[in-house]
Amino acid sequence: DTLEFDQIYQENKGAMYDGRLRISKQGIVFKNNKTGKVDNLSGTDLNLTHWFRVARGYELKVGLKSGAVFKYDGFKESDFDKLSDFINKNYKMRLEEKELSVKGWNWGTAKFKGPLLSFDIDNMSAFEIPLGNVSHCATSKNEVALEFHQNDDADVSLMEMRFYVPPNQDNPDVDPVQA
Amino acid sequence: KGDTVKQKVRKSNVAYKTVSQVPKEPDVRDLRIFVDKKYETVILPVFGVPTPYHISTIKNISMSVEGDYTYLRINFFCPGSALGRNEGNVFPNPEATFVKELTYRASNQKNTNTSVVPANNLNTAFRIIKDVQKKFKTREAEEKEKEG
Repeated sequence: DTLEFDQIYQENKGAMYDGRLRISKQGIVFKNNKTGKVDNLSGTDLNLTHWFRVARGYELKVGLKSGAVFKYDGFKESDFDKLSDFINKNYKMRLEEKELSVKGWNWGTAKFKGPLLSFDIDNMSAFEIPLGNVSHCATSKNEVALEFHQNDDADVSLMEMRFYVPPNQDNPDVDPVQA
Repeated sequence: KGDTVKQKVRKSNVAYKTVSQVPKEPDVRDLRIFVDKKYETVILPVFGVPTPYHISTIKNISMSVEGDYTYLRINFFCPGSALGRNEGNVFPNPEATFVKELTYRASNQKNTNTSVVPANNLNTAFRIIKDVQKKFKTREAEEKEKEG
């Protein structure tokens, strides 16, 4: 009893890589067609499964008990029922439908969620930064600047992001950026 | 902790009401920059997520070419930055964290697979953002005048 999906995409520093995803009772296996790299996520390690509308269609976001997070884009809207039933039956988990903020605002709250820095608007995530992508971090007065590792496969690549952080506020959420 | 105080936001422009309104253009799918003229919104790719920014959040943009790459920098309005002629600008959530600046890079060399010059995307985005920004500002000024 397995489900297979072709043309599933994995984003890496601004570039999309196509691959094939197989999901069975044992777990989730994704193979990157270009690099041949395989993600092998054991079913018993899964902690959460979320469903988002993103760039190529729908994304399956998988969180492991270890805190690691994996994201796969390119699912169709109609895949939801199949996947949801499968995850429910085999992992006794819910595939939670989530929405990203599309309000278009540049203010919100920066929150650390394991290996990700999530920028939330009205308690909805607008985007997430994998902290492993950060090559350099500098803080100065009311400002945090993040520089990112570059991927030559990306057409358009995010180099740097600066945040304004309000003064006179305990902001324990920002310091761990030093990671 | 760190949460912004809940308060009624005064007339903040909203890009999209729901995620289904976000266009499915090739530039959006392929994680390039796309400017949605109809919704006056710039869609910027941030690690796999096409992230909308309403034109009213953008203060200014600049572009430069250095060697093999073109760079596009987008500065957003945030507290503490010089307000200039936008002196009337009130930030609905001054205690929030703001995205202040984003810098993108694209190659000026043809992509061997697609023979597309990636930097063209930044050039186009630069031009259209300026355009949409101009129209938005003109309209805003007119509305202010009407209000008196």
